[in-house]
Amino acid sequence: MFSQFTTIWSLMRGQRLRYGLALGCLVFVTVLNYGVPLVGSTTIDYAVAGKEVGPTTPFLIAMLLRLLGGAEHLRAHLWLAPVAMVLFAASSGLFSYLKGWQASLASDGIARRLKDQLYDHLNHLPSRYHDRADTGDLVQRCTSDVETVRQFLAAQVMDIGNAFLLAATALPLLLSLSVPMALVSFALIGPITIYAYIYFRQVKHVFKEVAEAEGALTAVIQENLTGIRVVRAFARQDFERAKFAAPNTRYRDRNLHLMRLMAWYWSISDLVALSQLGLTLLVGAHWIASGRITVGLLFAFLSYLGIMLWPVRQMGRILTDLGKTSVALTRIREILSVPRESEPVAPPLLLAAPLSGRLAVRDLHFHHSAGEPTATGRGALNGLSFDIRPGETLAILGPSGAGKSTLMHLLLRLYDYTEGSIQFDGRELTSLPRAWVRAQIGVVMQEPFLFSKTLRDNLRLGRGDAPDEEIEAAARAASIHDTILTFAEGYSTLIGERGITLSGGQRQRVAIARAVLKRPPILILDDALSAIDAETESLVLNALRERRGHATTLVIAHRLSTLAQADRVIVLDHGRIIQTGTHAELSSQEGLYRRLWQIQTSVEADFKNELKPA
Amino acid sequence: MSAQFHQEDEFHDRLDTGLWWKIFRRALRFKHLLFPLFFTAVVLAVCDALYVQITRWVIDGVVHQGAAAPFARYLAGYGAVTFVLCASVWSFINLAGSLSNHLAHDIRRDSFEKLQQLEFAFFDTRPVGWLISRLTSDCDRLARVIGWGFLDITWGFTFVLMIAVSLLYMNWRLGLIVLAVVPPLALISKYFQRKMLLSSREIRKFNSQITASYNESIQGVRTTKTLVREPENLVEFQQLSTQMFAASVLNARQTSIYFPLVTTLGSFAAGLALWRGGYLTGSHAMSLGTLVAFVNFAGQFFNPINQLAQRLTEMQGAQAAGERVMSLLETVPAIKDSAAVLARITAQSKIEIRDSKIAQDGGVANITGIEFRDVTFRYETGPVVLQDFNLTVRAGETIALVGPSGGGKSTIVSLVCRFYEPVAGQVLLNGTDYRERPLAWLQSSLGIVLQTPHLFKGTVRENIRYGRLDATDAEVEAAAKLVNAHEFISQMEKGYDTPVGEGGNRLSSGQRQLLSFARALLANPQIFVMDEATSSIDTETEQLIQRGLETIFAGRISFVIAHRLSTIRRADRILVITGGRIEESGTHAELLQQRGHYYDLYTSQFRREREEAVLEGTPGAA
Repeated sequence: MFSQFTTIWSLMRGQRLRYGLALGCLVFVTVLNYGVPLVGSTTIDYAVAGKEVGPTTPFLIAMLLRLLGGAEHLRAHLWLAPVAMVLFAASSGLFSYLKGWQASLASDGIARRLKDQLYDHLNHLPSRYHDRADTGDLVQRCTSDVETVRQFLAAQVMDIGNAFLLAATALPLLLSLSVPMALVSFALIGPITIYAYIYFRQVKHVFKEVAEAEGALTAVIQENLTGIRVVRAFARQDFERAKFAAPNTRYRDRNLHLMRLMAWYWSISDLVALSQLGLTLLVGAHWIASGRITVGLLFAFLSYLGIMLWPVRQMGRILTDLGKTSVALTRIREILSVPRESEPVAPPLLLAAPLSGRLAVRDLHFHHSAGEPTATGRGALNGLSFDIRPGETLAILGPSGAGKSTLMHLLLRLYDYTEGSIQFDGRELTSLPRAWVRAQIGVVMQEPFLFSKTLRDNLRLGRGDAPDEEIEAAARAASIHDTILTFAEGYSTLIGERGITLSGGQRQRVAIARAVLKRPPILILDDALSAIDAETESLVLNALRERRGHATTLVIAHRLSTLAQADRVIVLDHGRIIQTGTHAELSSQEGLYRRLWQIQTSVEADFKNELKPA
Repeated sequence: MSAQFHQEDEFHDRLDTGLWWKIFRRALRFKHLLFPLFFTAVVLAVCDALYVQITRWVIDGVVHQGAAAPFARYLAGYGAVTFVLCASVWSFINLAGSLSNHLAHDIRRDSFEKLQQLEFAFFDTRPVGWLISRLTSDCDRLARVIGWGFLDITWGFTFVLMIAVSLLYMNWRLGLIVLAVVPPLALISKYFQRKMLLSSREIRKFNSQITASYNESIQGVRTTKTLVREPENLVEFQQLSTQMFAASVLNARQTSIYFPLVTTLGSFAAGLALWRGGYLTGSHAMSLGTLVAFVNFAGQFFNPINQLAQRLTEMQGAQAAGERVMSLLETVPAIKDSAAVLARITAQSKIEIRDSKIAQDGGVANITGIEFRDVTFRYETGPVVLQDFNLTVRAGETIALVGPSGGGKSTIVSLVCRFYEPVAGQVLLNGTDYRERPLAWLQSSLGIVLQTPHLFKGTVRENIRYGRLDATDAEVEAAAKLVNAHEFISQMEKGYDTPVGEGGNRLSSGQRQLLSFARALLANPQIFVMDEATSSIDTETEQLIQRGLETIFAGRISFVIAHRLSTIRRADRILVITGGRIEESGTHAELLQQRGHYYDLYTSQFRREREEAVLEGTPGAA
């Protein structure tokens, strides 16, 4: 438990003063709160019942009476009582407001800082981390776990403070009023606290079960709805119904189980609390009868018990929430403790000049799971070497899993290569800052990711300060301008879940325009034309060729039409180069390229045959 | 497309009693919970009021009778009320908890059921996330409002009534003075509860935006990296988190001003009672115990009124959720079995003998022909897509649909599958309008491979088996072999037991395609439908698939929407669809000879390839 407190203490860094302020206000709230029953008690005894101030009068009551002008004065001016009560209540309320405000500024401030940190950190984590991570789980940690922590910081920290304050002030206060009554009134406070704590510890796992049951239910609904077309296509409604019924019932039954436990908890807790009140009432009444205490004093004790019982009964829950909070914090820290993408220890000082586009790859090796060889005993890349001249267009061809995309990812330093070297203009890639390298490479992936912003904003992600004309020029180059104009809101059309859905080919073209706008010295197209029809493809390729003079272009493609436009083609298989040359050279050599070419041109041969009778 | 489904809940100033009555009627199905709950709430309120009276009784007793006061009776009275109160607490938690959880379960079950029946058009306009919220948070919220709201409102009204009656009974003049505090208390509560609800809705709104933002940034993290957008992303995110911060602080401030305000009002009422009552007691017109009771009651108004205000505001807030859920439950599926068909299915189900040649309605199970007769179709609000469309497909025929996108190819296929029904005209199966045959019969005879194949979270084997649930492992593997998926599957770490991840995201899109082929093949469908399914497969894989397709096409009616010539050429009949009409129809060779649209389509591809070949100087191209 102590380590949990230190963790929370360190979390409060930067907001501790605010918390101090809030706790300071809390002291006033608590103390002023005692005033209201005290006024009631004093008025009942000394103004209404006519008791005189004597040596047995508790110090606080004597002081309050003096403040109100003495018992005689109060008796003559009874309106002073409600005024005093409202004054106590109102000033306590004022501090309560200040406390709430400051505590919220502090806890929400911490929550905001945590969220910002998490967001930025996730953006800077290596791709390897994201490959393995589950998006839903990460989002959960960033939102509900942060919320758990925030709630704890906002409410529970104050509740704990309040409990300590009550313990520290109520006992001396009640003792000063009447020692025996105080002892009677505290008789069952200890058992209530312990009962609550033990109880909530016991049911902690039930809360977890309910949360898990809810998660399982949501997952089943989501699976069903995202795949509803498949469900219908195979008429699997009965199967899905059965799949849904189980978690739906389980969620209900877990909740009912929790409710049954809660019913026992609250009824027993009520029983103990009411027994405490009853004990105070009856013992107090007995002592009134024997003249040991007054009616006003009993009134005061009953009122104070009313104030204290609630926080005491809440303690059990707060203490178990402490456990929940520390679990949430651990989950958050797990993310924050993953190291960010490494940066070169001593980056070169002169990085002003952009890359020329010259690239040398030597004996490059890469394993997807670091250290472990794959099933075939080989990595994704096994000793790759090639050079690219500035302005050259190099096409890369190979069956799936040959290592084409891996190579592109290594060039972007989304992953770090295990062996060998990649040099841009003679400088080793690992010695350059990642962001600087990436800023000079435009990349379009086969399934490009677009953000849920307007089309214009999406394109502008390529270059933030691009004027509208350039955006449109880039869109024209990617043959998407005319399509955009057919949308009702043109470039201001929102895309993504909140807006329109683009087809695969449209997305690819938007991404190409985004990359073109960036004007990078190196352009990478990772199977980025696959969903674009043949006619549009040649338009896009023509437009790209026009700017080929200033950019080195790497194209991963399967289509002969794309490959044929490259200056040079390398054929990859199992992470090695098996052929290299121009289209003409490769199509005359025996090998993968020719084989693929024959597959595609067999259409042509057939067509010739078919045309003959025509 | 769906801006309406992203609007945040609106706040309703007026309670829609009709709507709440409809929802409450569902709760009335749980009479065995609802009536005891009502009774318990009343008992609880009576007990709460009795405590104040017991205190009064005890104080007056000891003041007047001293040690002769009947302490045993006090103890018995106090003990009895305590026991009843604790028993009511126990039972109301159980009752309200049961009521709301059973209600949530049932509403959720019925909503899910409805979603399984609703036609595709319903899903076209509603994002999945939006629908999920209806089935999770909306259902829970409604049930909570009904279950706990009913309890608290009953308790609150009864308690306020008990206090008022007690005050007036003890001393009606003083009672009236103290009761004067109730209207302002109610007004303030209503005002602040509303404010707090609105600001907490603001928080929820920002929270969902923040969630979406995290989601997007994680899914697009590689794009962010390649565009070096990390700093700008953070700035955009900080705007959101700051808005959320401001909303959250505002809500906290409202809460922390509301509670002191009402407790101060309570103290005012107590002070009022003490002042006026003090005079009465001083002049012996009222007992000391009654004075204490007045002060106690005056301080207790706050609790039930706060509960009432909170619950009623919650109902206003949950009204939008209620409308959404009820409207979902009340939606009538546009495509469903007619009464006549249902009657035939019931009649058939009474006959014990299972015969694979007979469908659920007693009709023939075999599909030997499909005919479109003067079919006209348009999507809900869109323009007409098909106009008087006619087509006859014979058993075993493979039909390829080609033509520009938006021409109506997908619509034709969706109509065949009865995912949509014709607006006018008929689709006939074996010569009978398919609306006179069971929906389940047709749809369980379909095998469909979509452009973006969806896989379910689970293993490779489970996903293939989705095609036929009782298929053996050997049959699953045989299907995988036929579509050439076996090789890559057995190369995976756990083979057929490898999990495919959410939506199949651990597989490449080509691999997903192959699995969806295997799944469709395993279903052994009478009608096979493929929608441009080969677009994301490399040439060699495509070649593999083409061989698998031969197996699939054999002996069944197939509809293929494809751009790849290799697929199209294999078809028995090619239809060129433009503007919702069949522009050309025939075999590959026939269409080439017609020199029409298909010829253009085909030759443009051909010419382009030859031009490139000449351009690059490929030997043998001349």
